[in-house]
This record gives sequence, structure tokens and C-alpha cells, in this order.
Amino acid sequence: MIEAKGVFLRYSEGTMALKNINLKIEAGELIYITGPSGSGKTSLLKLFMGVEYPTEGALEVLGQSMNKNQYAKISQLRRSIGPVFQEFRLINGRTALENVILGMRFLDIPSGQLKVNAVNAIKKVGLEHKAHSLVENLSWGECQRIAIARAVARKPALILADEPTGNLDKDNALNILELLTSFKDKNTAVVITTHATHLIERDINARYIQMSKGSINYERLGIAINEETIL
Amino acid sequence: MKKLFYNLSYFIKEAKTTIKLNAMSNFFSFLSTGLIFFILAMVISGWWISNQVVAAIQGEAEISVYYVERIDNIGAAQLVERIKGIDGVRETRLVNESEAYRRMVEVLGKDARVLEYFDENPFSPFIEVKIQIEEMSAVLRELGTISGIDYVRDNREILDKIQNIAQILKVIGYLVITAVGITTLVIISHIIRMGINDNKEQINTLRLMGAPEGFIGFPFLLEGLTITIGGGVLASALAAVALNYVYAQVAGPLPFIPLPSREDLTSNLIVLIMSLSAVLGIAGSIFGLTSAKRN
Repeated sequence: MIEAKGVFLRYSEGTMALKNINLKIEAGELIYITGPSGSGKTSLLKLFMGVEYPTEGALEVLGQSMNKNQYAKISQLRRSIGPVFQEFRLINGRTALENVILGMRFLDIPSGQLKVNAVNAIKKVGLEHKAHSLVENLSWGECQRIAIARAVARKPALILADEPTGNLDKDNALNILELLTSFKDKNTAVVITTHATHLIERDINARYIQMSKGSINYERLGIAINEETIL
Repeated sequence: MKKLFYNLSYFIKEAKTTIKLNAMSNFFSFLSTGLIFFILAMVISGWWISNQVVAAIQGEAEISVYYVERIDNIGAAQLVERIKGIDGVRETRLVNESEAYRRMVEVLGKDARVLEYFDENPFSPFIEVKIQIEEMSAVLRELGTISGIDYVRDNREILDKIQNIAQILKVIGYLVITAVGITTLVIISHIIRMGINDNKEQINTLRLMGAPEGFIGFPFLLEGLTITIGGGVLASALAAVALNYVYAQVAGPLPFIPLPSREDLTSNLIVLIMSLSAVLGIAGSIFGLTSAKRN
């Protein structure tokens, strides 16, 4: 699903954001990428989304080689990804339902199915009573849930959630993580970045990757980094 | 295509939202586009009318061929036939002395009394030759080779002037159409770029979710098209009122000016302005989208 071999990312202003990333993510996996701010978590997701391209090394996402010359194909690849952005990126002036539908309009989903998928996704995130509310009138947590609904309604092969717990209180953050992990199935991989390692509940089936200064420090299956530290 | 069809209501709604978000600037864009198209409509109608007048005058372009006195009526009739065979000659007619006299009486009006001082009819018979104005030189050259012709009055100076006016009008018409076309393109592309800039966040989000460029750009294309077509409708309405007024002012007092039918002119003008507004709207929007994408 995702394979990175010796990937480096240097931004145009010179910052080395990622160093020698070697990583393989299979379908149906749940991956937590943790680490402090500036450790390279968001940069790694940007590479997976095709927002940035490796300056060195090889990266393949869903069978697509990620390099600058493949923009049209990468645009198509993004249709198989359910992104949950750090700052939600919901579109103001539209309702929650319209936002979720908008994320599917250009996919190969029959027109009659768009609303059904959107309503189901909004139900899953528990906000059916807010479906017709304008997104600017929703709370932070509700916006986060609608952003997740928009991502999962697309029935993606890969869900990429960038700091979905940021700015949420503990209870809401736990709810969001629980919600996101519930969308993992045999065909869908879920990748979540977070710096709040204390919120991650131990999941025997999850893989935990800790990053620091642009490199992968640890990679463990079934044991969260904080637990390992405690152990 | 199927996707375009079932997303049409979304595109229309998005275009409406974009227009509403910049209501004031879009309103002024609509007004300025309307005024530009109105100026274009007036120039084109002026061009069409003058072309029609020039064509009518050109249709009347004629020269007078005087023949030597020794030629009798049969010889004159033969000469008429010979001249009729020249390329560029549309019509020939023999005008005898009496008709020439009568015409001069008509031309002179009250002053025709002066003709009474002549004991005999002072006018000679001649052949009236209607020609295609652009073939005038060739016709005159050919007439020079025919024996029996005494003198040709060719009104060349006047006919040349008419031809020059027609050429100038044509050039001015093309220049104005080009100027208006470029101005409209620039205005519309700026409007579109403004709309794109105001919706940068939304566009980036759609791109990150894999929306094709056509899907992202179509509402902006509709926005540009709405403004130019709106401008076209405004210009057409103003032009219809203006033509009505001009015809009322000109047709009565100056009945001899061969104006084209007002209804035909108005309907042709509306079809042209609406088609141009659609074409320029699409072209301007595509231009705006392309340059915004480049930046």
C-alpha cells in the first residue's frame, strides 16, 4: 500500500524535514505516527498525499510512484485517500452534509448514492442532527467529526489523519481516535499522526512509529511508545 | 460528461455563491461588460449601416459615355451592346437628347429657366453605364479601345472617395471589434482570477482530495459566462433602444438614406452580441483559470 525506501525530504528553503525513511504499510493496518512538533509527522503525510515529493529515495503509495512528473496520476491517487486535515479544511457557507457530499462529487459514485453515503458517514460520527447546519456554526470537535465523515464517506483505501486530536480535550480526543480506528478494515489502512502519545490506547493490532528530527526512532507492533517507556 | 450533467446543479450553486461572495465587484463587472458590448453594438451597427449605404451608393456608380456626332441611332445601339459586353459593366442605357434635357430640368429645378435661353437643345445623347466600382479602371481602359467614343465622364474622384470611405470604415470596424474583444477578455480573466483568489482555500482542499481541474474550474467558468452573458443582454437591450431612437431621428427627416431594416439590424445585432458574449465569456474564463493555475 505504502512503501518508502531511503526517502529524504528537503524543503526549498533548505530545511531537511525527513531523513532516510524506510517504511512499509500494508492494507488493513492501523498506524500511529507519534513524535513532538517538528519531528516530521506532517511532512511524512504530505509525501503520502503527494503535496510534497521525495528529494531522494523512492516512495510508492497505492502502487503509484510519487514524483513531480506524475501530477495527473497523483491527483487520481488522491481520490483513493480519505484525508483528515489538521485544520479540517471544511468549506464555509456550506452545510455539513454538503461538505461531505462535495468530497465525493468527482469520484465514481452514482449520483443517487452520494447522499446515502454522506448521511451514513455523518451518522457514524454521531452528528446526524447537525447534517444541515453550516459548518461555521459547528464546534471544533463537531468540525473534526464532519472532516472524518467526509474522509470515510469516500470509502478510501487509505485514511490519513493529521493530528486529529489537536486542540481537543481528553474525552473528545479519545472519542475521535476511537472513531478513526473503527474505520480500519481488511482493505483500508488508517494512518494517524499525533504528538499526544498519552491518549493512544494500547491496541494489539496497531503499529506505533515514533519520529524525531525527521527520522524514525522506533517502530513497534501492539505496544505504544509511552507504554514501552513505562515498561 | 455524465458527471458534468449530474454535477450541473452543484456547479450552478457554486457559481451563484461565488458571484454573491463578490456581489459588488461582480455587479460593476457586469455593468462594465454591458457597456463595452454596447459600444461594440453601436460600432457594429454603424458599420453595417454605412456598409449598406456605401454598397447602395456603389450600386449606383455610373459613368457617362459620349459618342461622336456622326454615329446614328443604329450605331449607338451597337455601341451600347459592345459596352455591355465589357467585364465590370452591370447595365447600359442610351439616353437621348430629350431625356438629357429633361433630367437637367429636374436637377436645376427653379433655375431650369436658364435653359429657355437656348434656341436648340444643348445636350448631346450619351450612354449611361452602371459599373462595378472596383472594376472602374479596367472598364475605362477597355472603353479607350473602342472607336466612336468621344468622351467619358467618369466621376472618378467621387467614386474613389466612396471606395476609400468604405475601406476606412471596414478597418475602423475591425480595429474596434479587436479592441473590445481584448478588453472583454482581460476584464473577464481578471474577474475569474479574483474569484479564484478569494476561493483559494476551497480550491486547494478540492485539489488535495483529488478533484480534477475541470471540476474545480467549471463554477468559475460559469461565473464568467454569467457576467458576460448578463452584459450581453444589457448591451442588447440598450442597443435596441438606441437603434429605435436613431431610426426615428434619421428615417423621417432623411428618407433618401438607404437604411437597412431596423428589425433585421436589431435581431442580427442581438444574435451577434449574445454569441460574442458567450464566446468571450468562455475564452476569458479559460484564460483566467489558466493564468491563475500558472501562478
